[in-house]
Amino acid sequence: MSDGKRSGATLRLEAVVKTYGTGEIAVHALRGVDLKVGAGEFVVLLGPSGSGKTTLLNVVGGIESPTSGRVISDGVDISSLDADGQTAYRRDHVGFVFQFFNLIPTLTARENVGLIAELTGGQDDERVVGVLHEVGLGKRLDHFPGALSGGEQQRVAIARALVKDPPLLLCDEPTGALDLETGRTVLDLLRRVNRDRGCTVLLVTHNSAIAEMADRVVHMRSGQLEHDHRNKVPVAAEALRW
Amino acid sequence: MVRLLRVKRRRDLRRQRAQFGAVIATLFIGVALFGATSDAYRNLNASYRTLYADLRFADLTVTGGPVREIARRAEAAGALASIRAVTDVPFEVDGSKLLGRVVGMPSDAQPLVDRVQVLSGTYLSPSRERGVLVEQHMASHFHLAPGDALRILGPGGWTTVEVVGIAASPEYLWPARSRQEVLVPPGDFGVLFVPEALAQQLSPSSAADQVAVYGAGPGLVSELSRVARSGGSLDVVPRSEQPSNAALQEDVSGFGELAVLFPILFLAAAAMAAFVLLSRLVRSQRAEIGTLTANGFGRRTIFRSYLGYGIWAGLVGGVLGAVGGVALGAWITHLYTSAISVPITVIRFSWGTPLVGIAIAVLAAVLAAAAPARAAASITPAEAMRGTTPATTGGRSVIERLVPPARALPGRWKLALRNIGRSRRRTISTLVGVVLSLVLVLVSWGMLDTTSILLSRQFDTVQRQDAQLYFAGGPATASELSAARAVPGVAAAEPAAELPVSISDAGRSYATTLLALPQDTTMHTFLLEGGGTGHLSGTGLLVGKALSGLIGVSSGDLVTVASPALPGPIRLAISGFLDEPLGTFAYVSLPGLEQAVGTNALANTALLRFAPGADRSEVLNRLQAMSEVSVVVDSRGLASSASSLMGLFYVFVGVMLLFGGLMSFALMFNTMSANISERAGEMASLRTAGVGRATISGLLTRENLLVTALGIAPGLLIGYLLAAVFMASFNSDLFTFTLHVRWTTLVLSAAAMLVVALVSQWPGVRTVGRLDVAWVVRERSV
Repeated sequence: MSDGKRSGATLRLEAVVKTYGTGEIAVHALRGVDLKVGAGEFVVLLGPSGSGKTTLLNVVGGIESPTSGRVISDGVDISSLDADGQTAYRRDHVGFVFQFFNLIPTLTARENVGLIAELTGGQDDERVVGVLHEVGLGKRLDHFPGALSGGEQQRVAIARALVKDPPLLLCDEPTGALDLETGRTVLDLLRRVNRDRGCTVLLVTHNSAIAEMADRVVHMRSGQLEHDHRNKVPVAAEALRW
Repeated sequence: MVRLLRVKRRRDLRRQRAQFGAVIATLFIGVALFGATSDAYRNLNASYRTLYADLRFADLTVTGGPVREIARRAEAAGALASIRAVTDVPFEVDGSKLLGRVVGMPSDAQPLVDRVQVLSGTYLSPSRERGVLVEQHMASHFHLAPGDALRILGPGGWTTVEVVGIAASPEYLWPARSRQEVLVPPGDFGVLFVPEALAQQLSPSSAADQVAVYGAGPGLVSELSRVARSGGSLDVVPRSEQPSNAALQEDVSGFGELAVLFPILFLAAAAMAAFVLLSRLVRSQRAEIGTLTANGFGRRTIFRSYLGYGIWAGLVGGVLGAVGGVALGAWITHLYTSAISVPITVIRFSWGTPLVGIAIAVLAAVLAAAAPARAAASITPAEAMRGTTPATTGGRSVIERLVPPARALPGRWKLALRNIGRSRRRTISTLVGVVLSLVLVLVSWGMLDTTSILLSRQFDTVQRQDAQLYFAGGPATASELSAARAVPGVAAAEPAAELPVSISDAGRSYATTLLALPQDTTMHTFLLEGGGTGHLSGTGLLVGKALSGLIGVSSGDLVTVASPALPGPIRLAISGFLDEPLGTFAYVSLPGLEQAVGTNALANTALLRFAPGADRSEVLNRLQAMSEVSVVVDSRGLASSASSLMGLFYVFVGVMLLFGGLMSFALMFNTMSANISERAGEMASLRTAGVGRATISGLLTRENLLVTALGIAPGLLIGYLLAAVFMASFNSDLFTFTLHVRWTTLVLSAAAMLVVALVSQWPGVRTVGRLDVAWVVRERSV
């Protein structure tokens, strides 16, 4: 970490296989995926439903273990970690943002973010407020989720992910439950966080329009990487159309 | 279409078998207890009825007065009557002296009324003038068998008699000495059935003095009672007031009360558990229900389908409970009759009990299912198809609003506080579970505490003597008292007169025991009805408070006191009513009584207190060895034998604690399951953020214990009040049950609830540990 910023995580996936079930009912979600992601990259994983992109995200995030292969984050093989090791990895290295916000309805925006800070070892209210300001909710700190719009709730969810200052931000269809305008605002926020904080972002979507904003786009199909390309000039989030 | 709904229901039931299992288990216990207590109540009554009919248990027993006239009138009206001599005399068995009662019987055949059932040996025989039957409880205590010998003290001195048989009598199924002395230590009182001629020899008055009438209807009983009272009979006892029968009926009626109380508690808990479970089921299936209604399923079909969950749970729990209740009822009846030594046990199967049990189980479950089923039927397809559940609105907890500093609490505490109000239905359900369980625990544990505290009140506060002496020569003389005082270990001895009396006023009378004590007695504390203590003075009569209702008298009223030990009836004024746990005794000062009677030789017993630290058994042995003494009663014997009887109570309380625990477990388990199922998304989000399983378990445990703790205060209060009502229902002139609950009981009950809460949340907390985090966080509604 330098200048108060923590550098983004590097990722390396080597022949990662993930199979659910066995025998005739076995589902091969990942079929030997090799992938390298540099620190601070904004990568969009693009593919149709069932292509394995969410499984890949979960494996990288340490909420699922690969059936075989290695997942190395900042030099640590997380595929060999036990449950407690994976919990510690998620706590110290990963921020998750999902399609559904899963906020706690009885806690305000500030308390939702503060609870994560509290439970993962940080008690700094200043940082909690700072993150909420960063996501544009400085005036909605003490609102309960029920009083926030979908976009605002997603921004609370992003603040919740960012409060731990993770080097890796994993986003699974973060705009899936939002309208176009709100979706663009959220994507803009993610891009800003990527640039300002230098954290690595992996964003899963089936929406090819979103891919235009990424530094790099990885196409997946049937559990394999189909192709991988870099956008020469990533498009600003507000210019996206879908 | 409806077949598909049935398939769906079957699969739902299978998928949530643990939760439905909890509902069914609670219904099972409720119905089983209903069946068991109802059957035990019915079977015990039938057992007594059969035994009473077989042995012709008297409908009316009259002592003293015109017994022959009563017998004549009874026979003229078609009833049966037996006249016999009954007298209380000391016995000696293997060196132990005890208070005894001899009951005269024809030696050639069973009497017409109050027959006995010979359990071993033979009935009396004219050829064995000194052959006697020993009542079964005394025989059991002293290990007496046919062929053994014992001694009886009559007017002519000690007479040795031979045991020819052991017998059960309907009059002594519960070996009560009198209505005032229902609880008598087994070694202190015994009954012998002897040839009538021997009974008359042993009776001081040498006259037949009791008539027992059988086959008399209520009209004849009241007519004969009237004749008896107007003729000066000492004691007129209809069957319902006969000491053994009254004590047993108190016990049996307890089963009748439990048959109502227990099922209400368990069925309410089961209904609540089913309500929580089905409400959650409907909420989680909104999208499915919307799809069904959008595809043409009618609201009634949906309603009936979800009601079906309740019907099935009720039927399964009810049928299992009904079967369990029949078996448990028979077992309790056998256990009870063998503990009481009732020689006949009647077990009758009645379809009514299991059918009613099943019906109430189904009714409870259907009532619980009705609201969720109605909610399911009212879901509109458009709203439901979105698959969203109405958002929970946030807000500060009541504590935060009332106590602003609470707003600065850490997030985990705020979460716990606010989740109390998040789902009122679930919070109320948990509270109800805690309250119902505490009611169950306190009603049973309260009985234990009350009994134990009342015994301590009776034997440590009210009765302060350690022993009571009866003298061979009859009256207690000054020299005998001096001799007793001189026994090492005896600290004090007071003369007393203990007389069987009849207290009457305005045509109503009550047979009791009058105890005349020195005016400044240190052997008895007189606890007044309104509180405080009273003293004996002059000829004022202090009586147990039940007398007020029994014969309708008030303080200051003059009553007539008659006794065969007195030359004639005397009139005494009631100076106060006493609150004593056991019996309804009357007390007067010894000088006052002697003044009223006009004699100074009424003392027939002595009350003794031992020196502190004296070896009780050694002092009792020394007293037994005194030649002047005929019987030594260990006044603390009942207290010590009662504490050994407490073992049975502990078993009862243990079982009730187990049931209470199961009941609250079932409710809390379902509540927790619904809670975790509804909040799976939140929990999974915390897990993805790197919050450890132990931390999440801690969050849930904190919430659960907080809600449980909230239920403890009302639970203890309601439990205490219901236990008081329950105990008061046993009040009579035999016992005064005022609920006493030790503070340790309250603390332990509260702690037990917290332990149950901890245990019941464990499966739910394990579920959090096993959450498929990857799947849950992607689902909008789980």
